[in-house]
Amino acid sequence: MTINLLKPFLFFIPLIIVQLVIVPLISIFSAVPNLILILIVYFTLLNGQLYGTILGFVFGLFSDLFSGGLIGAYMFSFTLSAFIAGYFFNENKIEKNTKTYFFLFILLVAAVINSFINSTVSNSNNEITFSFLFFEGALLPGIYTALFGLPLVVFETRKGF
Amino acid sequence: MIKIFKRIFNQFKEYIVLLVLSIISLTILSLNEKPEVKQIKIFALGNFSVVNDLVNSIVVVFKEDNALEELRQENARLMLEVNKLRKKSYENDELRAMLGYKDTSRYPLIPVKVISKLVTKIQGYYIINKGVNEEVKKGMPVLNHLGLVGLVSDAAENYSVLKTLFNTDLSIAVTIQRTNIDGILSFDGKELVIKNIPTTYDVKVGDLIETSNFSSIFPPSIPVGVIEKKGSNALGLLHNLTVKPFADVAAVNNLFVVKILPSREINKLEMNLLK
Repeated sequence: MTINLLKPFLFFIPLIIVQLVIVPLISIFSAVPNLILILIVYFTLLNGQLYGTILGFVFGLFSDLFSGGLIGAYMFSFTLSAFIAGYFFNENKIEKNTKTYFFLFILLVAAVINSFINSTVSNSNNEITFSFLFFEGALLPGIYTALFGLPLVVFETRKGF
Repeated sequence: MIKIFKRIFNQFKEYIVLLVLSIISLTILSLNEKPEVKQIKIFALGNFSVVNDLVNSIVVVFKEDNALEELRQENARLMLEVNKLRKKSYENDELRAMLGYKDTSRYPLIPVKVISKLVTKIQGYYIINKGVNEEVKKGMPVLNHLGLVGLVSDAAENYSVLKTLFNTDLSIAVTIQRTNIDGILSFDGKELVIKNIPTTYDVKVGDLIETSNFSSIFPPSIPVGVIEKKGSNALGLLHNLTVKPFADVAAVNNLFVVKILPSREINKLEMNLLK
């Protein structure tokens, strides 16, 4: 049980390096997929809302510290998006939530919320509109993140994680 | 009493945890400029960037060439020199000398490499592979052989954080080279914009933009970009100028930190003026 709870931390370090070093190379209109969020959502759906919320907070703190960005931005956005992803947690439907294409829908919702909150709290230009923040700051990276969850679903349908 | 609290906590623990963690996050967010938070950030940056640097060096190992770096450095120097000469054709040399114009190309350049990037629509933060040990300090401008890229916003011992032009938190005093019209360049989430330039001013698409003499952050005459589009507001009295930066900020890899710091004396004078 404890090993299962600590599992995401093993994935975090390689993923944050890939996120900061390699992922920017595949940005589309400054939108990049968020690999850390995929990890958070996946483990939230495995272990529950409370676990996910705390995991989001911890990973957010490390992401903020390692990326050089504003400390607190990812902490807040990951915490909130993990909390919302946690609403989909159901002990009887773990398989369905993590191993079917429904996972991509949950990931999309969490990624849009995460990107929107992150853009909003780190924005210091008061002329940026809500529609811009939603469509370009949130929806685009959200869809991109959800697309990156696809290999995980394909992998899960064939093999256990 | 304790039992009641326990029962309430068990019933609403998810919400309570969310509330507490959200408050902590937002509090830290609001304290970002505090020295204590900066210290933590610099400490983490210094340690974690070693790993990033290592991975980055593996990623770019096939592209590396020492001669290339020297050429890039030379190119950056020449770019500043060319820009200075171009400017001279617009201005009187004598006036320039009287104003005490500083020759930007004489500033020493520190070659640096980008080792990681935080890319979002709103924030542009890159981590570069040199820090205080190589005399990179907070506030130093960063450019490549094409033009300005950003500003050092934090510096650890061996690594620094670069705030790029594509960051809503960075506003730069710029001037239109041909006509010496000053303005403030900022990022609106989509593009770089100079706002509220009166329509009566002589501004053309294609005019070159460089850092202004009035900037207390950047040295003057660093090329920034070119005016790509002119848009006027509803009343037609003011222009919003869209600027295309010379440097491809999203793709930069090898950069130069200009070894100059904002003048404290000027800042102090400006503060006195405001008082």
